[in-house]
Amino acid sequence: MTINHHPDISTLMAFTAGTLEEPFATVIATHLAMSEAGRITVRHMETIGGALLEDEPDAAMSAAATDRLLAALDGASEEPALPAMAENADIPTPLRPYLPQGLEGVKWKWNGPGVATADLARGRDGRSRLMLLRVAGGRRVPEHSHGGQELTLILQGAYRDRFGVFARGDIADHDEDVEHQPIAEPGPDCICLVAVDAKLSFRGRLMQALQPLFGI
Amino acid sequence: MYSIVMADSSSGRGAPHQMDDATTLLARVAQARDRMALAALFGQLGPKVKSMMLKLGANDSLAEDLVQETFLSVWRKAHLYSPERGAVSTWIFTIARNLRIDQVRRQSNRPYEDLETVMLESDVPSGAVVVEQKEVIQRVTAALKSLSPEQQEVVRLNYLHDMPHAEIAETIGIPLGTVKSRLRLAYERLRPMLEDLQ
Repeated sequence: MTINHHPDISTLMAFTAGTLEEPFATVIATHLAMSEAGRITVRHMETIGGALLEDEPDAAMSAAATDRLLAALDGASEEPALPAMAENADIPTPLRPYLPQGLEGVKWKWNGPGVATADLARGRDGRSRLMLLRVAGGRRVPEHSHGGQELTLILQGAYRDRFGVFARGDIADHDEDVEHQPIAEPGPDCICLVAVDAKLSFRGRLMQALQPLFGI
Repeated sequence: MYSIVMADSSSGRGAPHQMDDATTLLARVAQARDRMALAALFGQLGPKVKSMMLKLGANDSLAEDLVQETFLSVWRKAHLYSPERGAVSTWIFTIARNLRIDQVRRQSNRPYEDLETVMLESDVPSGAVVVEQKEVIQRVTAALKSLSPEQQEVVRLNYLHDMPHAEIAETIGIPLGTVKSRLRLAYERLRPMLEDLQ
């Protein structure tokens, strides 16, 4: 698969370090399952982690640490290799826990003409969320976050904005102050996996103003 | 005898008392289920993993537990490691990271492990390893030290202190965009060394 739009380097570094909230980590992992170039970059970034680990000073270990480890080995079996998944599987492996019945089993919520969403998960921080967004061909993709970070991965179909055409496997990782107005390309529905870092989505300005009062 | 086998003739290292290197030890764990090799690897890298866990904010007892869990995973997964995919320290870094995410954050899913199945299947190395992993690590370590103090700071906070970028920004009092641009610049400096891998 040819990927034309990649995550920001700093986003991949946070993913490599393990500091992204679950919704963001899931979007990146799903993207990487579709992007060999991305996986190579992450492997390079993991090498930075290895170099930093080797450069760490030695912390004092408890006297019995080695004995404790060796004693624990008795009950530890070899971990079987997980069954390998095809790179281009319809639902990439990291996304499967959220979509046990695939895209057909998604319970969509109407969110305006030609637009539907489905909530998949929330981060432990209570602010970030993972969701699916479905936009009919030719429709505008609504603005789906307000002020926070946002990652959008195309799973099906395509959309176009001033940065170009985004198709399956492409990811939009813009700074929060970037303005753009994506429009779904004519043809099949455009389905995106989205992580947003804000309490709000798909609500009008009045709701945005009221939101802090009611904690919606 | 292993120190002779592993002697590195090009650099003059590999003196008779040199410990076996991590790759050799891990191969012995994988192939012969050699407990003493695991103990030796634990001796070399365990205290460093613990130091990292302490930086992440674990107290001494939790850090010790996480080191134990890390090396138990090394024992269980040793057969899944292949040297072409990265240095042993890099692999152990990812195991420790995954454990920390599982145990400290208690996320409900396992995106890193799921992704690993994709990597195992599709990213089989070409076999032509241009530069030895050990040498790559040494070069990257040297290059990390050549970064500006500002870049080094954000890289260390990102990797070793478990800080999301917004928290890094708050901690050192710079805008979020500056954190990201420093990380990008740092990576650009390191990229040439890293790309020698493949």
